[in-house]
Amino acid sequence: MNIKLLFLRLITPRSRPTTLKDRQQQSNNPAFLLLSSIVFLFSLSLLDTIIGWILLLVICSAIIRCAIFFAYQKHIPTLRTLNLLAILSIVGLAYSAWPLGLLITMVNLLVLACALKLMQVRTQRDVYQLITSLFFLIGCGFIFHQSMAYTLLYALLIFGVIIALGFFHAPQVDFKQQLKRTLILTLQALPIGLLLFFLMPQLPPLWQTPKAKSMETGLADKITPGDIAQLSQSSELAFRATFKNQAPMASERYWRAIVMEDFDGRSWQVHSARKQQRQINQFRRQEFSPVLTGSTIDYDVIAEPTQQNWLFGLDIATPLSLKSQGEIWQSADFLLISQQKLHSKYHYSVRSYTQAISAQTTSEFDRQLSLQTPQQGNPRTQKWISQLRAQYPNDQDLIRVLLTNFTQENFVYTLRPKPMFIDPIDVFLFEERAGFCSHYASAMAYSLRLAGIPARIVAGYQGGELVAKPNQEQYLSVYQYDAHAWVEAWDKQTGWQRIDPTAAVAPERITMGLRQAMLDEGSFLADSPFALAKFTNIALFNNLRLFLADMDYNWSRWVIGFDQQKQQALFKRIVGTLTTQRLALLGLAIVSFIAILLGLFFVPHWLRQKPDPMQEWYMRAVKLIESHIGARPSWQGPQDFDNHVNKKLPPTVSQTFADITELYVQIKYRASNDIQSIDSGRRQSLKSIKNAVKRLKKQLKGLPHHKLP
Amino acid sequence: MNHLQAHSLFNEAITQICQVVIGKQHQVKLALSCLLANGHLLIEDLPGMGKTTLSHTLAKVLGLDYSRIQFTSDLLPADMLGINIFDNQSQQFQFHPGPIFSQLVLADEINRASPKTQSALLEAMEERQVSLDGVTRKVPLPFFVIGTQNPMHQSGTYPLPESQLDRFLMRIQLGYPDKNAEKSMLRQQELTDVPEPAATFSCQQFMQAQTMANEVNASDALLDYIIRLVTFSRESPLFANPLSPRATKALLSAAKSWAYLNHRDYVIPEDVQIILPAVAEHRLRSASTDITAQGNLSQTLLESVDPIS
Repeated sequence: MNIKLLFLRLITPRSRPTTLKDRQQQSNNPAFLLLSSIVFLFSLSLLDTIIGWILLLVICSAIIRCAIFFAYQKHIPTLRTLNLLAILSIVGLAYSAWPLGLLITMVNLLVLACALKLMQVRTQRDVYQLITSLFFLIGCGFIFHQSMAYTLLYALLIFGVIIALGFFHAPQVDFKQQLKRTLILTLQALPIGLLLFFLMPQLPPLWQTPKAKSMETGLADKITPGDIAQLSQSSELAFRATFKNQAPMASERYWRAIVMEDFDGRSWQVHSARKQQRQINQFRRQEFSPVLTGSTIDYDVIAEPTQQNWLFGLDIATPLSLKSQGEIWQSADFLLISQQKLHSKYHYSVRSYTQAISAQTTSEFDRQLSLQTPQQGNPRTQKWISQLRAQYPNDQDLIRVLLTNFTQENFVYTLRPKPMFIDPIDVFLFEERAGFCSHYASAMAYSLRLAGIPARIVAGYQGGELVAKPNQEQYLSVYQYDAHAWVEAWDKQTGWQRIDPTAAVAPERITMGLRQAMLDEGSFLADSPFALAKFTNIALFNNLRLFLADMDYNWSRWVIGFDQQKQQALFKRIVGTLTTQRLALLGLAIVSFIAILLGLFFVPHWLRQKPDPMQEWYMRAVKLIESHIGARPSWQGPQDFDNHVNKKLPPTVSQTFADITELYVQIKYRASNDIQSIDSGRRQSLKSIKNAVKRLKKQLKGLPHHKLP
Repeated sequence: MNHLQAHSLFNEAITQICQVVIGKQHQVKLALSCLLANGHLLIEDLPGMGKTTLSHTLAKVLGLDYSRIQFTSDLLPADMLGINIFDNQSQQFQFHPGPIFSQLVLADEINRASPKTQSALLEAMEERQVSLDGVTRKVPLPFFVIGTQNPMHQSGTYPLPESQLDRFLMRIQLGYPDKNAEKSMLRQQELTDVPEPAATFSCQQFMQAQTMANEVNASDALLDYIIRLVTFSRESPLFANPLSPRATKALLSAAKSWAYLNHRDYVIPEDVQIILPAVAEHRLRSASTDITAQGNLSQTLLESVDPIS
């Protein structure tokens, strides 16, 4: 057979009934306008996840729908075209999305499917499929974004989908009314949703969700101070820490993240031997346990996703809660390392022993790593250090002299240093004398190593913005621009000791933060002109920024951070310790709560239709009769129905029913407006109708039941 | 006159009319209850179905003063209402009342007249008065108009607009008689002395019966049923012209007089159901453009609302 024919047959669908009415209904239904904009908006929200040509396809389908809606165009693409397009797209997707990982491929596939479906919609079933897939797709959005703004956006999109469903079924209803109706529906669903959120047991996922592969952000694990002419800064959040008690002073907020020990003359990075050791220990499940003494600070950290493993902690941090202990690994250089890469916001609890750093022991391995220096390069520094060393044999004296050198020789703290490519430390120490934290830390650590003092660079964050409100735990927001690097040196008498040369040059950087330090230079966040963090001198903007940060904090702490533990804590707070009795009571409380909610909705309806006993008894009789002769046509009046019964049932039964009908009609339609006579007469008739119904029941017993045809 | 007398008088009247208009008892009763409810009647049917005979007989039996206007396309309002003529002797204009000044006016083939004439008649129907040259004159009471019309699609007709159709309480169709009725009609033709219907009511008595019919009790449950019917016609997308409040009032008063004709002093849902096609059909218009969907709208309406609930 001709291959072309075969292919054509493959992509030609079996005939599906599409009526003219269906098409008419669609062409001017606002539901499609709404659905296309929802697909489009959703795709925009995942701009860096969705592949370009799929986005193009989405735009095309939205345009096609709009064109049909506004009647610029009458014809929907044929099924054959669409099927061909679908096959090509799948091939294209398989080709272009495979290296991106399973999750992103699947999300792209879903978006692609929705876009194609939007072009294809012909029957009612298609619309339902599209709407269901959209619900699922919007749910998928939460894998990538969990912030409050995106949650709001996705909630709005879901709301839009429900409105579209409403429009699909009732296109003649105007937008305002549709909106009102959907709003009422959504509001009714809200309490149940909240209840489920709080009380549904949070089970661990049945299968591993594939992780999105995306760019690593935050700190880099290699710094080359000499190459950087302009330190790029970002006002993005790095993490937030909530303190159980008092937060530490600004000058004590050194958040350790990475330790770099390998220096090649120009750049510092994590030593490969250290990485190996870490891997071996992790494999053997051998955890480093530091010596823990002195005062402690307890705090919770919510880290933003970095796609990397390291976490943040004040020296020396140990995981606190059971969950954190299971998921966090402690390394020999006092780091906290997460078992999983941080793909989404990560919440962990830590206890820091602030004075324990000096009590730590060190191994020969650590000493070796912290003493390595390259033989070549930076000759002036080498010479200078050997002179100094001869002058000051004592380690502490040498450190002091090195630090005073920075202050005495008019070193400047700047975010716009000149690039230094050859012998960068020589250039920095003896020519430029200007740089930022990495320059100082690099020069200091190198000098110490030359002098035979083990030293290494610690990278992390310093400072942060403390929010302290009277009735709330204090929390600290640490932004990317708080990134910092300092030096750690080993001395036999004092143990490991933190040395921050930046503090010697620019003390305001440490105590007041980068913004204050850079007031004169004006280079704070120079490459992001519209960052709200820049405008702290304008009170309105500053308040707005603080308000947004506070909202975001509470959102990530209470909504996203609501995990199994918090749920259990909530249970405990409600019912105390969990006993079976209390659990049963809680269950009862939940059920009755839902019942009350439903009741609130239904009671007005019940109250509106006061049950009339006369009506009730009559309807009971009608039901009895109906089970024998079939249902009463809903438009038949009582008299007509009686005549009907008269023809169908034997005279004894029909006589009884005639009596009942007579009583009913008398009360219902004859009763005059004289209330007195109604009341006495009504009681009498009620009694007789009761008796008659009972009699009817007995008489009907022997008769055959009505069979549905 | 008490209720019993009234009932027997009505029975008598119905028998009388049915001797002339044979086999149309239901329509006769509907027509009677329309007049009893003090409403105007529109009879729509093909020529030769007995429209004129029915209205003529009704006037006779009810003892009403009767006049007939044959509507043609050149009929002017003055032909119907009357005219002021200058009297040479008294040197004054003198009013010569037209045929409209009688208790029962038969407007034969009402849709053949021009809209101008139609609306002159319709003013008299609604206001029960006639304005001519700045003088307003009352028409005699009781005042009924029985309009007859040919179906719309016949040639040379000016169909009545919806607003004017609404003024007729009922629109009935006579339809062909059944075989037996037609046969006895033929037999009657052979007879030499055709029975002349005699006046059963006096005008006074009929007006008294009208008041009594108006006092028929309509319970809350029944009013609810009527409201449900009317509301359905307004909320359902089936109807382009739903029922107006005037139609609601018409439904109730027609149901009352129907109940009265059936010797009851209270209305039951079946009364409403029986009169509803006559009262509502000409006021409803389907939303569908499909020509076949136009018929039997009132039946659709009836079947959509449950009287017991």
